[in-house]
Amino acid sequence: MNQNPESSVSPATVELPLKEAVEPADQEAVAGIIERAWKDGIPVYPWGGCTQMGRGARAVEPGMGLSLRGLNRLVDYPSRDLTVTVEAGLTVAELRHTLARHNQRLPVDIPNAATATIGGAVAASVAGPRQFRWGTLRDYVIGVRAVDGSGMVFSGGGRVVKNAAGYDLCRLLTGSYGTLAVLVQLTLMVKPMPEETAFVIVEASDHGDAERILAHLVRTRTLPSAVELLAGPAWESLGDGLASRGGFWIAVGLEGSPDEVSWMVDQLQAEWREAGVALWHTLHGDEAWAFWDRLTEFPWKAASNNGDGELLVQFHVFPSAVCELVQRLRASQPRASIQAHAGNGVVLARLDIAAEQAAAMVEQNLRPMSASLGGRAIVLKQPRGSDLSRQAIFGPAPPGWQVMQAIKRQFDPKGILNRGRFLLG
Amino acid sequence: MLTAMKAPLLAKLRRCLGRENVLTEPSELVVYECDGYTIEKNQPDAVVFPRSAEQVAEVVRLCNEYDVPVIPRAAGTSLAGGCLPVGGGVVVMLTRMNRILEIDLRNRMAVVEAGVPNLQLSRALAGTGYHFAPDPSSQVASTIGGNAATNAGGPHTLKYGVTVNHVLGAEAVLGDGSIIQCGPLPEPAGLDLIGVLVGSEGTLAILTKLWVRLTPNPQDYRTLRVIFNSVDDATNAIGDIIAAGIIPAAMELMDRGIVEAVEAAFHFGFPLDAEAIVVIELDGLSVSLDWQQRLVVELCNKWHAREVLQASTRAERELLWKCRKMAVGAVGRLSPSYCIQDGVVPRTQLPRILARVTEISGKHQVRIVNVAHAGDGNVHPILLFDERDKEQVARVLAAGEDILEECIRCGGSVTAEHGIGVEKLALMDRLFGPTDLTAMRRVRDAFNPAGRLNPGKLLPSANGDQTFRVGASRRALP
Ligand SMILES: Cc1cc2nc3c(=O)[nH]c(=O)nc-3n(C[C@H](O)[C@H](O)[C@H](O)COP(=O)(O)OP(=O)(O)OC[C@H]3O[C@@H](n4cnc5c(N)ncnc54)[C@H](O)[C@@H]3O)c2cc1C
Repeated sequence: MNQNPESSVSPATVELPLKEAVEPADQEAVAGIIERAWKDGIPVYPWGGCTQMGRGARAVEPGMGLSLRGLNRLVDYPSRDLTVTVEAGLTVAELRHTLARHNQRLPVDIPNAATATIGGAVAASVAGPRQFRWGTLRDYVIGVRAVDGSGMVFSGGGRVVKNAAGYDLCRLLTGSYGTLAVLVQLTLMVKPMPEETAFVIVEASDHGDAERILAHLVRTRTLPSAVELLAGPAWESLGDGLASRGGFWIAVGLEGSPDEVSWMVDQLQAEWREAGVALWHTLHGDEAWAFWDRLTEFPWKAASNNGDGELLVQFHVFPSAVCELVQRLRASQPRASIQAHAGNGVVLARLDIAAEQAAAMVEQNLRPMSASLGGRAIVLKQPRGSDLSRQAIFGPAPPGWQVMQAIKRQFDPKGILNRGRFLLG
Repeated sequence: MLTAMKAPLLAKLRRCLGRENVLTEPSELVVYECDGYTIEKNQPDAVVFPRSAEQVAEVVRLCNEYDVPVIPRAAGTSLAGGCLPVGGGVVVMLTRMNRILEIDLRNRMAVVEAGVPNLQLSRALAGTGYHFAPDPSSQVASTIGGNAATNAGGPHTLKYGVTVNHVLGAEAVLGDGSIIQCGPLPEPAGLDLIGVLVGSEGTLAILTKLWVRLTPNPQDYRTLRVIFNSVDDATNAIGDIIAAGIIPAAMELMDRGIVEAVEAAFHFGFPLDAEAIVVIELDGLSVSLDWQQRLVVELCNKWHAREVLQASTRAERELLWKCRKMAVGAVGRLSPSYCIQDGVVPRTQLPRILARVTEISGKHQVRIVNVAHAGDGNVHPILLFDERDKEQVARVLAAGEDILEECIRCGGSVTAEHGIGVEKLALMDRLFGPTDLTAMRRVRDAFNPAGRLNPGKLLPSANGDQTFRVGASRRALP
């Protein structure tokens, strides 16, 4: 498993204006702490494994640090139901380990698993390459327990995989960055673990060629788990004999039983041959599993020694616009490393940049680039020393903004949760 | 009835939509006094047929101006009374907004108006290699907007998920008459409003347009029909199949009672002493289906399967499905009226809930037959009665409530796919605690602060409002 240098971040090094930091041992204590902060009107900054704390703007108002790592119990794992209930502070690695013992998994790619907590991953709705076939955490969280901005504990969903009772609070909270409530417990749907995997990889000469191959994949008879487009320095080599000639890699990840995977590898090669695509490569077994890890860890794995000068931006466009966006990105930023979950229209770009140039780069260059293709762009990580505003990080208010604000006011009337950090913070 | 004061509202509605698109005659309104849930009825004051989001928005604004409830309705197949005009008001019919606007294969997406029937989209997709996965048994009539509003499921949700997993974006008219568009690109910085709108049963917004995900058609199928000597054997086999890491596309269970009905109606030649029949469908890549099928058969045999029939042609597959698809219709032969319940338990609790259903049937002297989307733990006990007999109706309602309370005790929920509507309002505070309901009320207040969109549905009112309690007992004695 890849280890990110940042995975050792301890609360002390998280850049938050903390008056004090606490790590409660049970859910009731979390509620008590938030209730007190609510009465006093002081901000609460929750964290789990601190692997995604680079997201959002820098908080300025002194407040209470709330580590959820004390909530790390496996509550219930009826494996034959394909569900698991855990506390929010359980690490993703521990969860994976537990599930693996029953040949099951949560098919969502979460980097820094050894440190990342499941609650943090859900709060940020972390997702990676497998979202093409398997969806995102929004498709897996079936039950939540959370504490709102006044200390009120509430639950949503339940423990069944299909539930039409009331509003879906699970989806509301997934990806809400802890701005509505602090997650303390989750019930997740899980899936059987595939036995085998492989990647079929081809290098497209230019973006037109890449789009042709991707468009062709719409008709594939295979069932890819991931369709990735990779370019830039981070992907100069994908392994032995896989050195880039400066084009765009397209990597198709396949998972399943051994006979399914070997059939899909053959089939995809046949489809590509027919489409006039030449020179593909295949990764099998351990090499392929390691490549999944590399794809998962890319956004958070610092290229330079400490990643201090890195700007990481995530774009959302239609899948059909991915190649065009990547092309424009490369034309404007030749040293950018790019990973696109091309089948989903999610594009990640990592560039080295001086802190003081970050705002202009985002607002004058990158965001207009995605907007011209009908897309959005948000900053996932800014260079150390830069201080991007929320506006610069998240861009203009999304559609439905007034409803979102109304929901925020309802769940966190004093605005103490993650104050100043996120759009709704 | 609308008071004379509200006559100006009708005049404005007519001006906005055209006279022919506003119904107000009692003889015309009678069709709209209930939906697929027929136990409770009430006439709306008017029914309107808008053709665009702008018209829907104008209707909502006018109803706000005159303080009149707005009830969205599409095909009206709701089994929970979601379209019931509880306190009168204007029913907004979405059925004229029925255009498929775009099929975009490159982006694996279709754009439809809310009133497009589910099957119409499937037909339009024929030959593309893609389909819209949610397949409620009502798909001939029920609309994509209605499916989204109820987060509908179907036999194939076991593998492919429910409607919310397939909605990428929505255009919606909010309680104040404003129009918003969420998606179709995922929202990276704000909240997942689509996730909340789906399944909100018309109480947060009126959906006018949807962007839906298209799913590649499976390369191949293996369909089996297995007869078991006991329901327990059947549910154990189902549990073992999932535990073995196989997720079939569907696993549909029918018990002896329903088999008898199907047999009486259609003469498939089922043994009438068969306690359970399970239709199992595997789909996916051809290369793995044979060994999966072998394993499934092995596990069924481990649980004493009495007969395993494997479809080897398309016609045979359709025949195996037919017995499941005709099941509900066949019930009509057994009884003048029936009520399809919808409960869900963790998969492993299926034997327990089905055993309890039998006990409850005895306790209340109500005949109950069962179909179940068994792979999901979703049971549909069908309660048979004669609605002319008020005493029977009362027993049916009591039995239904017992079943759902047992679902709660098993760790499940009171609805997997039909929704709360008015039917299950009284169960919400048994399933959820007070703070859970508070959280849901906040969501409603954010979208629909004046509460005029589909009032009296989904959420019991905060002060334990008596009207709903009265409603529940009124339903008990119609
Ligand atoms: C024979 C039969 C079989 C069924 N099988 C299944 C099944 O397998 N799975 C399943 O899940 N359900 C099933 N149902 C229930 C029903 O068909 C579903 O709930 C369906 O999704 C309702 O769609 P509709 O278009 O009929 O919506 P309606 O019944 O018209 O409305 C349903 C609810 O949604 C609201 N609504 C409708 N359209 C909109 C809109 N555009 N915007 C906002 N709110 C709206 C209404 O106010 C109401 O609350 C079945 C029903 C019948 C009669």
